[in-house]
Formats: sequence, structure tokens, C-alpha cells
Amino acid sequence: MSQTVAVQESASPGAWEPKVVAFLCNWCSYAGADLAGVSRIQYPPNVRIIRVPCSGRINPAFLLRALQNGADAVLVSGCHPGDCHYISGNLVARRKFALLRDLLQYAGIEPERVQFTWVSASEGGRFAAIVEKVVEQVRKLGPNRKLVKSP
Amino acid sequence: MIDKRIPHTDLDRLLDRLGKRGAVYAPAKDEAGEAVLAAWPQSGPAVLEYRNFRLSPKALVLPQNQTLMCFKNGDVAEPALSDRETFLFGVRPCDARAMLALDKVFLGGDQHDPYYARRRAKMAVIALACARPTSSCFCTSVGGGPGDAAGADVLALTLDADLLLGAATAKGRELLASVADLLTDAPPAAVKEAEEQIQAAENQMAPVNVDNIALRLRDAYDSPLWETASQKCLGCGTCSYLCPTCHCFDITDDVRGGTVRRVRTWDCCAYPLFTLHASGHNPRPTAKERWRQRMMHKFRYAAENFDQLFCVGCGRCIRNCPVSMDLRTVLKEVGA
Amino acid sequence: MIASHEIETRLREAAEGFLREKKVDIFLGYEKASFPFRTSPLFLSAAEKARRLVWNPFCTANLAVYLPRLFKAPADARAAKVAPPPPTVGVVVKGCDTRSVIALIQERQVPRDKLVLVGVACPGMMDARKAERALGSREALGAGEDAQGNLRAVVEDGTEVTLRREDVLADACLECRSPTPSIHDVLLGSPVEAKETDAARRRTAEFESKPADVRWARLQQALAKCIRCNACRQACPMCYCKDCLLDQTRPRWVGAGTDISDVTLYHLVRAFHMAGRCTECGACARACPMGIDARLLVRKLNLEVEDLFGYRPGAAVDAAPLLSAFTMDDPQEFLTEP
Repeated sequence: MSQTVAVQESASPGAWEPKVVAFLCNWCSYAGADLAGVSRIQYPPNVRIIRVPCSGRINPAFLLRALQNGADAVLVSGCHPGDCHYISGNLVARRKFALLRDLLQYAGIEPERVQFTWVSASEGGRFAAIVEKVVEQVRKLGPNRKLVKSP
Repeated sequence: MIDKRIPHTDLDRLLDRLGKRGAVYAPAKDEAGEAVLAAWPQSGPAVLEYRNFRLSPKALVLPQNQTLMCFKNGDVAEPALSDRETFLFGVRPCDARAMLALDKVFLGGDQHDPYYARRRAKMAVIALACARPTSSCFCTSVGGGPGDAAGADVLALTLDADLLLGAATAKGRELLASVADLLTDAPPAAVKEAEEQIQAAENQMAPVNVDNIALRLRDAYDSPLWETASQKCLGCGTCSYLCPTCHCFDITDDVRGGTVRRVRTWDCCAYPLFTLHASGHNPRPTAKERWRQRMMHKFRYAAENFDQLFCVGCGRCIRNCPVSMDLRTVLKEVGA
Repeated sequence: MIASHEIETRLREAAEGFLREKKVDIFLGYEKASFPFRTSPLFLSAAEKARRLVWNPFCTANLAVYLPRLFKAPADARAAKVAPPPPTVGVVVKGCDTRSVIALIQERQVPRDKLVLVGVACPGMMDARKAERALGSREALGAGEDAQGNLRAVVEDGTEVTLRREDVLADACLECRSPTPSIHDVLLGSPVEAKETDAARRRTAEFESKPADVRWARLQQALAKCIRCNACRQACPMCYCKDCLLDQTRPRWVGAGTDISDVTLYHLVRAFHMAGRCTECGACARACPMGIDARLLVRKLNLEVEDLFGYRPGAAVDAAPLLSAFTMDDPQEFLTEP
């Protein structure tokens, strides 16, 4: 099924576009993103992908550094629980992610800026849909100013 | 030396007048009710009822966080250093004296730290003499005093409803001359009372014996006292950060996008990584070596290299240590 | 709380006995400091010096912080051959301290069988800074507890000032839910019931009721005073890593210095490292020279850990540490779905 996604044309060059840094696990989510590309499923180009071996590799400092360096949002995606290539990496990560999101939300960072999901290698469409959702949510929020370190 | 007088109520006018020439810092109370040296003007009159500030004024000459230069696209840029004069009012004599110690490190010998020098050259210190030392004060034992003017350009003292002033340097004389219309001459009776007040404050302090401390420390290098003395040290850095003479720093490159900032930040010899070599060797691996080094630096190496003890007896380290370590106890044990 | 004096006597007897009978090599307790409103940790190895031990409302330090360094494993096999056997350590522990000890045992940093825990049921400790602030610019020369548990201080001019107990109790103690040591070899004082068991929850609820921007602004304001001295980390018994992430330079996770972005990152990262490990002893807040409420973030995290996973750090010696374990049904409402 082909999907046409209206990619928002910038009103003028230099207008702000959300920058979403996505940490994708190599075996499921990165493959899923790749499948979206191969299937010509369009999704907003605002996402910058960083491939990690497993969602369990994610150090919360990665997300915080991304935000500090100017990312408007971060997206973390791994295999569905039970399907982790390393058996339990995503299960260990799941607890961390839940607590991290709550901590950042408590601190006042909008929950839409720190999002987590599971995407399998066959879910190209799901990946695209999630990216679209995240980018739209962040576009409404505006640029990330909190945590950003001025140069 | 004390020869001028201004009523308390006119102090704000004096500070405002200085404010026209540059940045002014004066004592204020923070939200918790503690005395701090804060930028003037403030929401209320300058505070004169306090013992000492928790943080020493060294942050004004040696900031915790100082960008030395930036690199971007192959260009080097230095941040514009302010050419404004800075006036510090209300610094205690111990903290003023500490500035001289810092001067010896950053300006003395073959050192000339331009970042430090620039700020220091533009700074005038109006010290406020102490009438009521605390039980952690021991400035008189380390060469200072509650009415000592060393390191200050002007020495001030509160006496009843007045503030007495006296210039201690040429810069101080110029400063007082610039506000001469606000001042009157201090009557000899007031000057005498001021001297008595200072003497009384001196008498209140319990002495700490630092006779030949450099030699005593040298001979005590291998003493087992360092093991016991350092056992409770957490390596938290509070003592160094609050100390008015501690000056060790770290320089790191802070990468941010396309720009790199070379930043100088405070460091502390009590930190485990302070002397970690690139090889992985650490010559001060435990709290014992680090605590010993702290005492050695302040009371022996400083005396040997700079002819001045790098302790002004302000007592901040003693009051603020989370485990209440007291270096006076160690000084007593050395060579005992 | 005249019981303080009684506990002190029994504590001295216990320590002296343990040392004399060589049941412990070192005994950790508290001794008088140079100032009122404070005590200082004491490392005892001689039975006759047991009289230096004190017990009073200023025994605030969490002595568990010294345990990892006493049980440090030898660096390598060669060092292990010549290393002395680990000592047996006696230590005075309050309710919160005991939880820290249990958490350290959970993480294999200290062996239970090498510890002799002298537990004291704790009625709450007083905060030196609160007491000093209440006295303003007057200095206390001496202080003690009266029969009602209030603080009686003698100030410089000889007058006595009474400070109400509830005004000087430490913040961590006002929120304490575990005043009585859950494990011990000796227990001094009768078990104490936790009082305001909802205090932490009320505080976090108050903070959470504000909009996100206000929360962020308040956090930034609270952290603005931070001078990056690391006292909070060094005082924490659970921060025992040889190479702390926050000190690493390759890569530099958190910049050195007081840029508010780096300060916030420091506290966020440290708080997160406490998830499932913090035992709410308040050592961090007490150590902070700038008076920052170092528990601001971790207070919420501890409640989240309880609500999401039903886990309390330092509750059971054989419980698996929270983030080292998982179940197939761990909550995942936080996930994004398309």
C-alpha cells in the first residue's frame, strides 16, 4: 500500500523544521526503517537515524546529549518484547525508558520530545506512521530551548 | 589609617556613586536569609549585619566557569573581556588577604595570567572589619586580623550608626577622594574606639599554633597521622571550592556544534582523579595522600614558594565540611 | 528524648565489647565535632576509645558511604595474593542508613557476613543549616535536646534559644518512611513508626501540578546555585563507581563548569543513576554547600519506581537490583503508537 504523506513545504528557506534524532536498534527498528525506504513509503525527512545494536545499548545520556546539542526531540525504537535479537536487551531497557520519560516529564521537558516505541523489521509502514506522528507533535511544540547549550 | 566617616544611612549613596563608574558588589540576604555578596543595586539597603559569606569572593577574579577562547572554522576568538571597573564592598579582611595569595600564584614570578590580571587590575576592594569573629575564625594565627587591611584598597568598620573608612592603597585614596563630598573626618575618639573594637575581636579568637608549621609538616610527611586524619574525607570538594585561596583549575575543550570553547573550571586536589596520569597511574591514590597534600600545599609549599600561608583562617572549610573535618585538629597533631 | 543518652551509653558498651572481643576490626560511629549542631564520623579500632562515641540528633551522616572503600577488591590477581583479608566492620546505622547497607549488599559491594550492624531506631535528625539559619547572625556555642525533643541552643551572649523540633528536623527525616533498621545485629531504642508517610508524595504532587514550563523554570532556579563541587555525589553511599560517568572525558558526557545546561544534565543523569537505588537518606542535600535540595528529582523517581514496579531500594538483601531485572509484563504505557 502506498502512502502519500504531505511533506510540509517550508514557508521560506531557513524556516524552522523539527530535528528528531532517532536511536534505532539494528535488528528490528533500523531494518523496519530501511523497509519503509525500500517500499517507497514516504515519511517526513526530519528524522536523523542513529543505529545501535540493541535498544538495551541506549544510555540515557545519549538522549540528554541529543537534546543538549539542539535536537528538538528524540525517538528510541527497539524490537517488540520477546523478539529481541539479544533475548532480553529490550526488556532491560523497557524499565529504564519508563523511568527516564517520567523523570524528564517531571523536570518539565515535554513528553512529546522523548518518545519510545517498538518497531519490528517488517513494520515499515508502522515506522513511517510513528515518525510522522512524532514530527507533527514536535512541530506544534516548537523548537527545543530547554537543555540546549548555547554555543 | 582610618580617618573618614559616613553614616550607615548614606552607604547606599556611596555604592550608587561607585555604581556609576562600574560594577558594584555589596552584601545582601538571599531567599534563605543567608548573607551573600551580590550585584548592586539590590532591592533593599546594603546589609551590614552578617559574619561572612558562604562563598568566597574569589569567583570574581577566578570564575568557576571561564571561557578562555573559542575556536570556530579555524579562527580563534577571545571573548571580550570587560573593561569595567569592579568595586567589592563588604569583603572580610581574611578574604581580602586571600586575594594577595592568589596574586602570588597568578601574577607573581614568571606567571602572568592575563585572564586573572585583567579582572584584578580593574578591581577595588573595600574590606569590612570584623567585630564578632565566629568560633571557626583564626585569622590572627595565620598572619591576618579582623582589622587587617592587607589585600584591601579601603578598610571600613561599623561603629554605632557610622561606617568608618580609611584608604590602604593609592587606589583606595583615589576612591575615597572621588566620594569625598559624602564623607566627613572621623573624630579621634571614634578612631580610638575602632581600634579597641578590633583589639577586642582579636582577643576573641582561639589561637592555632602554626609556628614552624612548614618544617613540622616536612618532618611529618610519613607520619601515621595522615591515615587517621583522612579516613572520613569524602573527597567532596566543598573545602576547596569555598576556600578563598584555593585556586587549582582544570582546562577542558567544550565542543558544541561547530564551535569549541576552551574553558577553565575549578578543580580540587581532593578529587580522586585530580592526579590521574594518562598512563593510568595515580600518585595520590587514596584520601590519605590527597588530604596530606592539601595540608602540605597550604602550610608548607606555599610558605616555601610564596612566603605566605595559603590559609587565611576564614573557617569555611571547617564549617561546611559535610563530615565536620577540622584542619586545626590536624595542625595541632603535626609535630606534636 | 532522654533516650538519646541511654542509647549513647549502650552504644559505647556494644562498640567496646565488639572491639575488645575482636568481633570487629573497625567500628564506625559518630563523635563530637568542633561545633554545635554537628557530629563527625569516627573510625574506632581501639576498645578503650569507645567512649568517644556519641549519639544525638546530629548524627546525620550516612556511614554506609565508607563501606565500599573498606571492602575494595584487589586490583588484580597478583594484588589479590598479597591483599589482607577483608575486615569485619561494625557500623552504627539508622533506618535510612540500613537501607543503604542493604542496597550495597544487593549490588555486591559489601558482604553481609563481614558487617556487624548496630541499628538505632531513629526519631529523626536535625539539620545544622536550618538551626543556624534560625539563629540568624548569632552563633551557637553549645546545643542539646530538651525533654520534649526541641533544640536548646546557647548563643554567644549566654542566652538560651529554643528551636522547635519540627523547624529543625532535616527534610529527608520529615519524609522518612523507614525510621527503624530492617536488619541489624543489635537494635538500640524501641522501634519507631514512620509518621508522615505521604510527605514525599505530597511534595512531588505539588510540583507536578504546575505546567511544564513552570516546572522547568523552578528546576533551573533551584540548580542555578550549583558550583559543580560534586559533594552530593561523594556523600552518596550508592555513588561508588571508580570512574564516574560525569567525570569521563572520552567522551565528555557532561561539560565541566557551571553552564546551566551542564548543571541540569549533571543532576538529571545522577538522579537517573539513583533510580531504584536511592534510599532517601538525604546525605546529598546535607553535603551540598549551596543548600540545593539535591533530592528534588530523585524524590519523584523513587515514587515512580514504587508505583511502576512495586520496588523499594534497600528493602530486601536478596532482591535483584531494579534495573538489572525485568518481567515480561513490565508496564509500557509510555510507548508511542501510531
